[in-house]
Amino acid sequence: MNARALKRFVPGGRWAVIAVPFLWLLLFFAIPFLIVLKISFSRLAIAMPPYTPIVEYVDKALTLRLNLGNYVALFTDSQYVVAYLSSIKIAAVSTLLCLLIGYPMAYFIARMKPSTRNIALMAVVLPSWISFLLRVYAWVGILDANGILNRALMGLGVIDAPLRILYTPLAAYIGIVYCYLPFMVLPLYANLVKLDLRLLEAAYDLGAKPWQAFLRITLPLSRAGIVAGCMLVMIPAVGEFVIPEMLGGPDTLMIGRVLWGEFFNNRDWPAASAVAIVMLLLLMVPILVFNRYQQKEMEGRLT
Amino acid sequence: MAAINERANGFPAEAGSERYLRIEGVRKEFDGFVAVDDVSLDIRKGEIFALLGGSGSGKSTLLRCLAGFERPTKGKIVLDGEVMNDLPPYERPINMMFQSYALFPHMTVEQNIAFGLKQDGLAKDAIRKRVGEMLEMVQLEKLAKRKPHQLSGGQQQRVALARSLAKGPKLLLLDEPMGALDKKLRSRMQLELVNIIETSGVTCVMVTHDQEEAMTMATRIALMDQGWIQQVGTPDEIYEQPGNRFAAGFIGSVNLVEATIDEDEPDYVTLRTPAFDAPIHIGHGITGFEGQQVSFALRPEKLGIGKAEPEQPHNKAHGTIEDIAYFGSHSVYHVRLPSGIKLMANFTNQQRWASEGMTWGDQVWLWWGDNDGVVLTS
Amino acid sequence: MNPTFGQRLLRWTVLALGYAFLYLPIVLLIVYSFNASRLATVWAGFSTKWYGELLRDRQILEAAWVSLRIAFWTATAATVIGTLGAMVMTRFHRFPGKTMFGALITAPLVMPEVIIGLSILLMLVSVGAAMGIPSKGMVAIWIAHVTLTVSFVTVVVSSRLQELDKSLEEAAMDLGANRLKVFFLITLPIIAPALVSGWLLAFTLSLDDVVIASFVAGPDSTTLPIKVFSSVRLGVSPKINALATLMIMAVSIAAIVGWWLMYREDRRRQLDMQLALQENG
Repeated sequence: MNARALKRFVPGGRWAVIAVPFLWLLLFFAIPFLIVLKISFSRLAIAMPPYTPIVEYVDKALTLRLNLGNYVALFTDSQYVVAYLSSIKIAAVSTLLCLLIGYPMAYFIARMKPSTRNIALMAVVLPSWISFLLRVYAWVGILDANGILNRALMGLGVIDAPLRILYTPLAAYIGIVYCYLPFMVLPLYANLVKLDLRLLEAAYDLGAKPWQAFLRITLPLSRAGIVAGCMLVMIPAVGEFVIPEMLGGPDTLMIGRVLWGEFFNNRDWPAASAVAIVMLLLLMVPILVFNRYQQKEMEGRLT
Repeated sequence: MAAINERANGFPAEAGSERYLRIEGVRKEFDGFVAVDDVSLDIRKGEIFALLGGSGSGKSTLLRCLAGFERPTKGKIVLDGEVMNDLPPYERPINMMFQSYALFPHMTVEQNIAFGLKQDGLAKDAIRKRVGEMLEMVQLEKLAKRKPHQLSGGQQQRVALARSLAKGPKLLLLDEPMGALDKKLRSRMQLELVNIIETSGVTCVMVTHDQEEAMTMATRIALMDQGWIQQVGTPDEIYEQPGNRFAAGFIGSVNLVEATIDEDEPDYVTLRTPAFDAPIHIGHGITGFEGQQVSFALRPEKLGIGKAEPEQPHNKAHGTIEDIAYFGSHSVYHVRLPSGIKLMANFTNQQRWASEGMTWGDQVWLWWGDNDGVVLTS
Repeated sequence: MNPTFGQRLLRWTVLALGYAFLYLPIVLLIVYSFNASRLATVWAGFSTKWYGELLRDRQILEAAWVSLRIAFWTATAATVIGTLGAMVMTRFHRFPGKTMFGALITAPLVMPEVIIGLSILLMLVSVGAAMGIPSKGMVAIWIAHVTLTVSFVTVVVSSRLQELDKSLEEAAMDLGANRLKVFFLITLPIIAPALVSGWLLAFTLSLDDVVIASFVAGPDSTTLPIKVFSSVRLGVSPKINALATLMIMAVSIAAIVGWWLMYREDRRRQLDMQLALQENG
């Protein structure tokens, strides 16, 4: 490694380091959104690519043809509106359930001895290393009318007839909570493990009962972790496709399925683009909240 | 006398090795906060110079400016005639021993020490020889192949020292060198460290908040507070001749009373103070005027303490023993005077059980000589 | 304060239920892969015939090979780019545009996959030709997967970089190494485990993705998840159970090996430190 030759890179080296990730993400993450925006103003066409151009230059006249039809449909057609609202509802409820299950788990794992803690945490994360698709598939078998759950409940005499869970919204809830649970536990754990136990000891010393100390000290201090976990679950859940598709039935309207349907079934790229843009706008605020938290975390300003 | 004063100001008459390291008007600001406020120092070749101060005094920032990790907002740093300001840390003939030692965990002791030499592109044999010399110097020959986590704190420190001296730098910087060691080890290592540095002859600037450390190790000290230099001098100069109240109070214990100049003569000065009944008599002239408000600093070990009233008409006070702090080798008596002021007086327990039966509540006399105290005008 | 019996009971109940919830489906997947009956809901005796069928299914095997190759290159590219991103986030102080940079780095973490897939496809269709990239195919999938996983690598690596004592890098500079050398000689070796973690994470995310790949996959670049997804849409198929079991075994073995290596390293360090303390030089 010739140090002298490389030295030429060093003054500008700083900008090269910044440029590589920046340009990649700009090109393949940010700019594509602009293109989606552009195509959302287009019209379905039997052509390759299957949409009409927005800008036309004919006889020295530049015409801008913005088709608002896709957006109009989104706001007037009740099916779309219901799908958006339903997505938000399902995502929000699932997030809440994840929080209710995940917080206690993260709490107790954070309080374990360091040696067992790591194993316990790995045990939470390990399932997510196994294909998420396959785990959702597992629930198909469990929730089916002839599946394990029903057979067990009937065998125990709890119910007489099989419960219809599969292909209902309930199954989607279960699936989302199941798949996203590790994403809730991890940031909560990261936050709770940094909690100084001496603070709690001080509280007990001053007369607080354990549940009081929890509500007044632990909970508020873990707020950052709660926010991060909720954002990490809710935002992607809104746009979920696989889970509602495999576990939910026709009643489970989610905007991810709508987008998929527009693109793959209807081959209507402009409509799909419009659906995506509105989804982005809906998620903009939560994304920015998460973004601010995550940046601070990465820069080390959050302790 | 004049020479001592000149050195105390840091600007000696002779040039050359007297001004080996010149810090000229260095100022460092962070977002409007002034960490180092127009500091100028001249450091002699081969001396061990301490920057002493509390947290926020600017000493660490100044050290980092010397090392190259911070760029001064204003001012120049000149080492052996070469301006350092524009040089990045890896091009300066300066090496630093970090407070946390910063030993590379994935390298052995040998590799750590050799690191700097490899960056210079030395031949393998030369490196091996030099590393051997360094290991001998710090007496760690047997631990050459170990990794840092296999060493004790004291051993790690010696490796850090060897590593920073390996390249034979023109300037060695020490950042709180004893900070990570426990008390017993500290005293021993202070002397060892000074020996090694003096043997190698390298010029050294160290930063510390521990006044004992500075007094023990340094040839000269610069006392820093809030970004600027309060006083520069040898340890005994600063201790016996503090330049202002801050310097007096920072090093060691001191009794400080407010007084007014009563008589200002060329060969003696009298002070009157509400703290004592008797006047204070200083056996030499000072720059001041009658009626001027000054502080009078008296070190506890300069006070005599006893039950009988001393014969001298001045420099004495009378009060009740309020507290006794027993240190084994000596005791410190805290005496409350009728004026409300509390004075501290040291008493060396030279003979066993010798403290004359002085105990809490006893009435005692305190006295001192004409030249035992210092008058401070700032 | 030692936990009371009640508190301990609560703790273990919560954890037991939580882990049961997480692992039961996985256990069932494995169990039914050995089910002789096609109906995964009826147990008809132990059989390994589905494994045989799996290994004879050429389409699945080819799809698996495609997925593995894409995942490998995705992970490698994402690790390089993500590490650079982590260095910027943790080591570079304020430069114009850092907030935007930070936003770009963190947004993909939560972006719904349908949006990422659609947008990259549309991007490649619009300007891909100009860049010489076909809008569908393995390269397209690779690009999309790298874009998805870079942020995850950045999070993992920057977490490790923050813990790294800055004075190590300063000491190296002080001893004469310029910034580039410091990175390769000091920083990189020390954070290497985090890079491995990041690589594995990106690998898994890529291997598992069905949504994004569906948008940009071409006819000869069917990935394994796409194949699996189309299979299971038609209903439960025990071949898939067999595939799942094989994957579970692979992951478990990797996890155990990784954990054992870390454990051994930890024990060795502890012994070393005890040794040093005893000698008390």
